[in-house]
Amino acid sequence: MVDGVTRLRAAAGRGLAKVTGQALGPYQSAVVRIGFSATWLFFLLREFPHRRELYGPDGPWSWDLAHRLTDSNEAFSVLMWSDSTLWFELVYAVSVLASVLLMLGWRTRTSAVVFMVGVLSLQNRSVFMGDGGDNVIHLMAIYLVLTRCGRVWSLDARRAALRAGSGAGRDVAGPVLWGVLGVVLAYGAVSGRFTAGWLAAFAAVWVVLGLWWTVERHEPEGEGRAVLDVLANLLHNAGMLVIMAEVCLIYATAGWYKIQGSRWQDGTALYYPLRLDYFTPWPALSGVLAGSGVLVMLLSYGTVAVQVAFPFTLFNRRIKNVLLAAMMLEHAGIAVLLGLPFFSMAMIAADAVFLPTGFLVWLGAGASGRVGRGLGLGLGRGRGRRGGAGVADAEVVPVAVPVQAGPGGG
Amino acid sequence: MDSNERERAEGALPADVPPSPRAPGIAGLSTPYRVVTALALGAVAVAACWHLALVFLHVAPSNTLSKRHAGMIDGWIYPEFEQNWKLFAPNPLQQNIAVEARAQVRTDDDRLVTGAWRDLSAEDGAAIRHSLLPSHTEQNELRRAWDFYTGSHDEDEKPSGERGALSQEYLRRIAVARLGADGGAGADGRVVRIQLRSATRAVPAPAWSTERTDTQTYYRELPWWTV
Repeated sequence: MVDGVTRLRAAAGRGLAKVTGQALGPYQSAVVRIGFSATWLFFLLREFPHRRELYGPDGPWSWDLAHRLTDSNEAFSVLMWSDSTLWFELVYAVSVLASVLLMLGWRTRTSAVVFMVGVLSLQNRSVFMGDGGDNVIHLMAIYLVLTRCGRVWSLDARRAALRAGSGAGRDVAGPVLWGVLGVVLAYGAVSGRFTAGWLAAFAAVWVVLGLWWTVERHEPEGEGRAVLDVLANLLHNAGMLVIMAEVCLIYATAGWYKIQGSRWQDGTALYYPLRLDYFTPWPALSGVLAGSGVLVMLLSYGTVAVQVAFPFTLFNRRIKNVLLAAMMLEHAGIAVLLGLPFFSMAMIAADAVFLPTGFLVWLGAGASGRVGRGLGLGLGRGRGRRGGAGVADAEVVPVAVPVQAGPGGG
Repeated sequence: MDSNERERAEGALPADVPPSPRAPGIAGLSTPYRVVTALALGAVAVAACWHLALVFLHVAPSNTLSKRHAGMIDGWIYPEFEQNWKLFAPNPLQQNIAVEARAQVRTDDDRLVTGAWRDLSAEDGAAIRHSLLPSHTEQNELRRAWDFYTGSHDEDEKPSGERGALSQEYLRRIAVARLGADGGAGADGRVVRIQLRSATRAVPAPAWSTERTDTQTYYRELPWWTV
C-alpha cells in the first residue's frame, strides 16, 4: 500500500518534471511547422495569378460583402481594415513572407504569429473560397503559435548553437522586429480595429516576447529565465496535445459519419467522387479505378476502417506507424486522383505529428547530408543519437540541448 | 523530483553540455515560483481540456450535452474554430450539379437580345481536367457559391435573412464576371439582366452493380436578376 503510494508519487513527480522541464516532441512540432508553412506558401504561390479574384477588394466576394459577413460573425481579418488594393497586396506579400520565415524557423514565435494573422486574414476575407484543407491550415496556424516549434531544424536553433559556441553577439533584428510589430499593434489598438479578445492575445504575446528578450540578455542564468522556460514548456506541451487531439477528432469524425452512410455500407462510396466533374482531373485514371467493383469496395471499407481505428492505434506504436503510412499514402493518392493537392498536403502535415522521433531524426540527417551541409542549416542536429530512436525515447532526445542558451540548455 | 535529479546526475544530458546548476522544470525553482508555475500548469491544463471538449461537442452529432449547451459551444467555436469533417459523409455527393447562366443585353441599336445558356461548371471542369494543381477559383468558387445560395433560400427562391441576400449578390457577381462585358449574347451592348439555373444529373450506377439510376437532367431556374 505504502509502496504503491510512493510509486504513484514518483510517477507524478516524473510527469511533472517532464511537462514543465521539456518541450516534448521537438522534431514532431518542427515537422508540423514546416509542413503547414510550406503548404500555405505553395498555395499562395499557386494562386498568385488568381489572388485578386480570391481575396482582392474587387473579387466576386467583394470587400462590401465580406464586410457585411464579418460584421455579424466577428471573424478576424486585417484585410477588413481597408478596401484599398495596395493594402491587399501588402497583406498577401506579408503572408508569403511569413510562410517562408516560419518554414525556415527564423524568429519562430514571431513568425508563427504573423503567419497566423496572414492565414486568418485571407481565409476569413473570403470564407466561401476554402475547403477542408484551408480549414486544417486555419486551425493549425492558431495552435502552432502556442508551441516552441523552432527548437530544431530552424535558423533559431542554428543561431543559438553559434551563440553558445562563441558568446553572445548583438541582436539587432529581434528588437527591430519587435518594435515594428509594436507599432502595428498600437495602431490597431488605437483605431479600435481589434476585438477585445484579439487585442489581449496580441498584446500578451508582444509583452512576453519583450520580457523574454530582456531577461535573456540581462540574466540568462537567473531564475526569471527559468520560470519563463517552464511556462513556455507548459504552453508548448498543451499545444502539442491539442494538435494531436485535433488530428484524432478529424479522423474519428470523418470515419464515424461515414459508417452511417448507406454508400459506405454497401461499399460503393468511392465510386461516386470518381464520377464528379469537380473532382476528376484525370477521368481516364478515375475510370479505371471506378471500373472495378471489388477494388472500390476494398478501398471504401479500408478508408472507413483506418479512419475509425486510427485514434485507438496510438496505444500501440507499431500499428500506429503502419496506419500512419497508409493514411499518408491515401492522401497522396487523393491529391492526384481527386485534384486536391493542398488539402492532401495539409493532412499529411497534420499526420506528421505522429511520426516517430527516430524516423524524423533519420530524415533530418539525410536532408542535412544532401542539402543542409552546403547551406550550413544544421538540419541534422541530433544526428548520432538516432540509435535509441522512437516515440518512447522522445524525452531522452536532446530537445534543446545545444540549441537554447539558458538554465536548462547551458 | 528526486528521481529527476538523479537522472541528471547520471548524465542523461550529452557530454558536450556543462552541467547546469539548476534542475530543469518546476523542480529547479524556488517556492514562490513553484506556486506560480503550478497555478499556470493548472490553468493551461484546464484550458486545453476545455477547448478539446467543446471542439468534440462541435464536431459530434447533436446530442444531449451539445443541445443543452448549444449557445456556449457556438460562442467558443465560432468563428475561428469552426470545422466540418463530414468529408464525403455520411454519403458522398451522387449527382453532378452544373450551374448555367445567360444574359439579356440591350444592344447599341436598342434591341433586347437574350443569350444562350452557358455552362459555367463545365468550364470549371475543363480547367480542372489534366491539372495537377487545380485553383480554388475553378474548384471551389462557383460550386460553393451555389451551395451557399441553395442553403439560404427555400424552394420558392425566397432568401432567408442576411445570408440569403449575401449569397444572391455573390452568385450574381460571379456570373457577371464570367459572362463578360457583352454577356455572351453575341451582340454589342450592355448587360441589363442575368439569369442562372442549375442542371442536376445523377451519377449513373456503376456498370458492375445491378442498381438503376434515373439520369435525367433536372433544372432549377432562378428568376432574372437586374444587373
